[in-house]
Amino acid sequence: MSRQGVVAREDDAAGEGAGGGHRRQGKAGRFWSTRRAPGGITALLLLAGIGFLLYDVASVRAGRPGMAWRRTLTDELATRRLDDVFVMAGAAAAAALGLWLLVLALTPGKRSLLTMRPDTPQVRAGLERSAAALVLRDRAMEVPGVRGARVTVRRRKVRARAQAHFRDLDEVRTDLEGALRDGVEQLGLARRPRLSVRVRRPGK
Amino acid sequence: MLRTVNRVLTALSGLVLLALGLAVLFAAAGLPHRWGVSMPSDWPWTRPGDVLLTDADRTRWRDEGWWWPVVIAVLAVLVLLTLWWLLAQLRRRRQSEALIDSGDGEGAALRGRALEDVIAAEAEAQPGVDRARVTLTGRRDRLRARVGLVLAAHARPGPVVHQLRHEAIRHAVDSAGLDTLPAEVRLRTARHRAERVS
Repeated sequence: MSRQGVVAREDDAAGEGAGGGHRRQGKAGRFWSTRRAPGGITALLLLAGIGFLLYDVASVRAGRPGMAWRRTLTDELATRRLDDVFVMAGAAAAAALGLWLLVLALTPGKRSLLTMRPDTPQVRAGLERSAAALVLRDRAMEVPGVRGARVTVRRRKVRARAQAHFRDLDEVRTDLEGALRDGVEQLGLARRPRLSVRVRRPGK
Repeated sequence: MLRTVNRVLTALSGLVLLALGLAVLFAAAGLPHRWGVSMPSDWPWTRPGDVLLTDADRTRWRDEGWWWPVVIAVLAVLVLLTLWWLLAQLRRRRQSEALIDSGDGEGAALRGRALEDVIAAEAEAQPGVDRARVTLTGRRDRLRARVGLVLAAHARPGPVVHQLRHEAIRHAVDSAGLDTLPAEVRLRTARHRAERVS
């Protein structure tokens, strides 16, 4: 074991000793997607287009006849006016596609993954929204009187809809709110979502 | 690394497409004339009657000796670059070996798969965890772990992560003599029916 390792582990232990679950440690930023799919598709299309052009240019240089598509393409480019419908549609499509690629490149993505509080050293954790919803639904079902519950978790808001088949509705709502507030706390999320609870009698 | 490359190149492609599209639409709507904007003298698109690429523009340098070699070289470089970019998407980075400092100056290599399996097995033994998958990444003397956990019903995600760090990961770090093992943990659940407890 290296000395460095010992030091790192001691730091670790000291960090734990410092206590409280709400310590800020590390960063609690979003999870950023690798954007494999947009990158891959863009690369594939570019490769196909440039590859074709290169092949044709090279084969013409080597003395073979060029392919027909290049002749057609240059004719179209040189004759269609800018206010031609096809040119304008193409330009609009290119602009829209470009805007979309920019948005994909600059936004984090991974919207279904909620960042958890960075209070465990050297661990960066994320909780799927569906998992958070399921955990909270389980908590809601433990409240006396609740017969069925639907929980939806958005990035900043948790919505719980429950049906209570006995007990006073207000009591059930109070208990449910308490249970869910506790449940949300135990999700350990970096950014605590707002909670909205609604309790009804089951429909007849 | 790949994330940065993907985002920079995607942003560049998007920027080029957006700029081209807007420039053509700008001229097609006759806006330079209407707004009194004077475009640079060799700007190709200023009036709705212009075309995308005139024959004169296309063949301007055709008779120069350097033109075709330069075109071919630029295209070839672009082909190689996009090919590399495409292949980078297909490669999964996984570290198959961990370097262990055995204390005698020799060192030893530990199979990454073995370390992954040990961490996963210990994580699965934890209350609240149904299944665990561990992948080692990073360099072999500076490993990182990616952990995917499937939570059981009635699990508490916060404490589960805490326990994972202080048992499975801590034990792996101690037994393999690693300096540290930073981990990225993702939690999900298997869908299960709602059940009344009381």
